[in-house]
Amino acid sequence: MYELFKNLGTWLVSGEQWSGSDGIGHRLAEHLQYSLLATLVAAAIALPLGLLIGHTGRGAFLAINLASFGRALPTVGLVVLVFLASGLSMWPVYVALVALAVPAIVTNTYAGMTAVDPDVKDAARGQGMRWHQVLFQVELPLALPLIMTGLRLALIQVVATATIAAYVSFGGLGRYVFDGLAQRDLVQVLGGAVLVAVVAVALDLALSALQRALFRHRPA
Amino acid sequence: MTIDWSWIGDHTDDLTTLTLSHLQAALSAVFFGLLISLPLAVVAHRIRPLRGLLLGLSNVLFTIPSIAVFVLLLPVSGLTRTTTVIGLTIYTLVVLLRNTVEGLDSVPAKTKEAAKAMGTRPFRTLLTVELPLALPVIMAGVRIATVMSISLVSVATYIGDGGLGQLFTDGFQRNYPTPVIVGVALTLLLALVADALLVALQYVLTPWTHRKQRAA
Amino acid sequence: MNRRTLLGGLFAAASVPVLSACSSGITSLDGEGGAGSGGGSSKSGVTIGTANFTENQVLGYLYAAVLDAAGVKTTVRPNLGTREILIPAIKGGDIDLLPEYQGALLHYVDPKSKATEEGEMQNALAMALPAGLQVLPYGMAEDSDAFVVTQETADKYGLASLADLKKQNGKLVLGAAPEVKTREVGVVGLEEVYGVEFKEFKSLDSSGPLVKGALKKGDVDVANLFTTDTDIQENQWVVLTDPKNLIPGQHIVPLIADRRADSTVRKALAALGNVLTTADLTELNRQVDKDKKDPEDVANAYAEKKGLTT
Repeated sequence: MYELFKNLGTWLVSGEQWSGSDGIGHRLAEHLQYSLLATLVAAAIALPLGLLIGHTGRGAFLAINLASFGRALPTVGLVVLVFLASGLSMWPVYVALVALAVPAIVTNTYAGMTAVDPDVKDAARGQGMRWHQVLFQVELPLALPLIMTGLRLALIQVVATATIAAYVSFGGLGRYVFDGLAQRDLVQVLGGAVLVAVVAVALDLALSALQRALFRHRPA
Repeated sequence: MTIDWSWIGDHTDDLTTLTLSHLQAALSAVFFGLLISLPLAVVAHRIRPLRGLLLGLSNVLFTIPSIAVFVLLLPVSGLTRTTTVIGLTIYTLVVLLRNTVEGLDSVPAKTKEAAKAMGTRPFRTLLTVELPLALPVIMAGVRIATVMSISLVSVATYIGDGGLGQLFTDGFQRNYPTPVIVGVALTLLLALVADALLVALQYVLTPWTHRKQRAA
Repeated sequence: MNRRTLLGGLFAAASVPVLSACSSGITSLDGEGGAGSGGGSSKSGVTIGTANFTENQVLGYLYAAVLDAAGVKTTVRPNLGTREILIPAIKGGDIDLLPEYQGALLHYVDPKSKATEEGEMQNALAMALPAGLQVLPYGMAEDSDAFVVTQETADKYGLASLADLKKQNGKLVLGAAPEVKTREVGVVGLEEVYGVEFKEFKSLDSSGPLVKGALKKGDVDVANLFTTDTDIQENQWVVLTDPKNLIPGQHIVPLIADRRADSTVRKALAALGNVLTTADLTELNRQVDKDKKDPEDVANAYAEKKGLTT
C-alpha cells in the first residue's frame, strides 16, 4: 500500500504525465467537458420538468419515482445499448450521463417546489401576480436551495461516472482507470481515481460557494 | 435493434443464475454496509466532532469511480466475489451512514430521558428505544442503498463478476443487443421488486407508524 | 491466516455459492517446481479462466468440454480481463487453467527471450514461468497478433510490411487494446525492432467492436487484430507482414497451475490440441461473433463432433 501511494506521488508530479494527448492536462479537460456538458443538458431538460410538475402539481408520481428509476438504471448496460444502436460515437457517453443526472435534478426541483408554503403562493396570487410571476418571483427563489442540492448531487455522480467514456474508446480520466486495469498498472488506476475524486469534490465546493453567494443578497 | 426472443427462451437457466448471483452481491453489500454503518452512526451521533469527519469521508468515497475501486482491490481479494462485495459495500456507506445518523437524531430527547428515568441502561435504550424509532429513516436509506447496489453490481463485469452485467460485456463484444436489453430490464425489475419488498418489510417492522396514523 | 483468506472467510459468511470459484482456489502454492510434472490433482475440480475476447472464451469452453468428458468437474469464468490480470489470478488461486498463446505468454514472463521456434519457446516457457505454473503441450491451432490497415491506407502510404510504417513515423494512429501499449508485441516492440513511432496510440479493445469500428471509420490507421478474426478477410483488410519476426508464433497452449495438473487433465487437453486446427478455431469464433451462438454451445458441439467427449 505504502509503495502504491509513493508511486502515485511520482506519477502525479512527473512532467511527462501532464503533457501530450494522454497527459493529465488533456484528460482532465476531456473529463470536465463530458461532465459539464452532460450536466448542463440534463439541467436544461430536468429543471423545466421539475418546475412544471412542482408548479402544477401534475405528474408528482413521476417526479417521486424518477429518482428511484434513475438509481436503478445500470449505466454500463445503457452505455452498451446506445453503443450498439449508434456505433462509435459520443452518444453512449452523453445519453448515459444525462440519464443519470436528470432524475436527481427533477426530484430535487420538485421537492423544492412542494416545500414552498402554499400560503405564500396564495398571497402572491392575491396580489394579482400572473402564474409566471408566481413561478419565477416566488416559487423559484424559495425552491432554489433544494434545486442547487439536486444539481450538486447530479454533478458529483456524473463526474464519477464519466469514467465510463473510456470503455467506449473515448478519453477523460477514466482512460487511466481502464488502461491501468488492462495493463494491471495500479498506480495509473489509483491516479485516475484520485483525480476524479478531486474534480468531483472541487466542483461540488465551487457550486456550494456559488449557492452561498446567490443567497447572500436575498432577503430571508 | 431487434430483440431475439428465442435467445431469451434458450437462456432461462443462465438468466436465473445471473439474476441470483446479481442479487446476492447487492444484498451482501447492503448487509455488510449496515453492519459497518450502524456502529459508526452511533458513534457519529454521540460524538459530534466525529460526525462531520465520518460523513465527509463517506461522501468522498462516493466520488471515487466504482470501477477503480474494484481494480484497486485486486491485490487484496483477487478476481472474487469478495472484491465485488467490498467495492459495493463502500458505496452503500454514504447513504446508510447518513440516514442512520439522521434517524438517531430524529428520536425526541424526551423519549430518551424517559428511558433513562426508568433506569434503562444506555445500550439497552439504544437497542430498544432509539434504533426502533430511527427505523423509518434507516429503512429509507436501506431502500436507496439496495436499489443503488443492484444497479452498480454490473460494473464488476470488468473484473469478471457483475451478475447480469456479464450480459452487457457479452452483448458489447459480439454486437448483440438482446442480452444487453434483457440485462437492463432484469436489473430494473430486480430493483423494483427489492424496493417493494423493503417497503413491505418496513411496514411489518414498524407497526406503530401506521397504527398511530389510524388512531389519529 | 493471511489477510486475504481472512477477508474471504468474512465475506463468504453471507454468500450463496453462486460462483464456486470464489473460495475453492485458495491453497498453498509452495512445494511445486516450475516445470513440475505430476503432484497435482484435478479431483476437486478445475476452474478455467478466460480473457476478454471471444476466442479465449471458446477455448475455455472447449477445455471444459473435454475435461468434463474425462470426469473432471470444471467451472468456466468468462471475460476476466487481460493476461496482465489473469496471470496474477492463476498464481493467486482464483483460477487454475487458462487458454494461452505461446509467444505472447513467453513475452509476458520473459520479455528478453529470443526464442521463436515452437519447441524452443516451449522450453523457454518451462524455464521462465513462475513457480507453481506450467504449460502443457501446445496445440496445432494458432492465433497470432496482426497489424492491419485498410486497403485504402495501404495504397495511400505504400504499406505492405511493418517496416514500411517507419516511413510514416509520427503520422499514423495505432488502435489496439490498452495493454498493447506496454507490450513487446505492440508499441514497445514496434519501436525497438522496426523503429516505428506512431502519432498516437488509441486504447480500444482486443479484436473487438471498438478497434474494428475505429478502423472502418478511419479513427485509426493501423489496428491490432487477431489472425483468426474473420472480419479481416470480410473487409479485405491488409495484414502487414513481419519480416523481422517481431510477432512470435502463437500456438495455443494450456497454462495450468501445478496443483491441478494431473494425467487426466494432460491427456484430455492434449487430445484437443491435436484435433483443433486454426481453421476450426476461426470457424468457431465466427459462429459466436456472427451467428450469435453461445461459446459454450459452439465448443460442446465441436468437441462432440470430433469425438472428444466419448
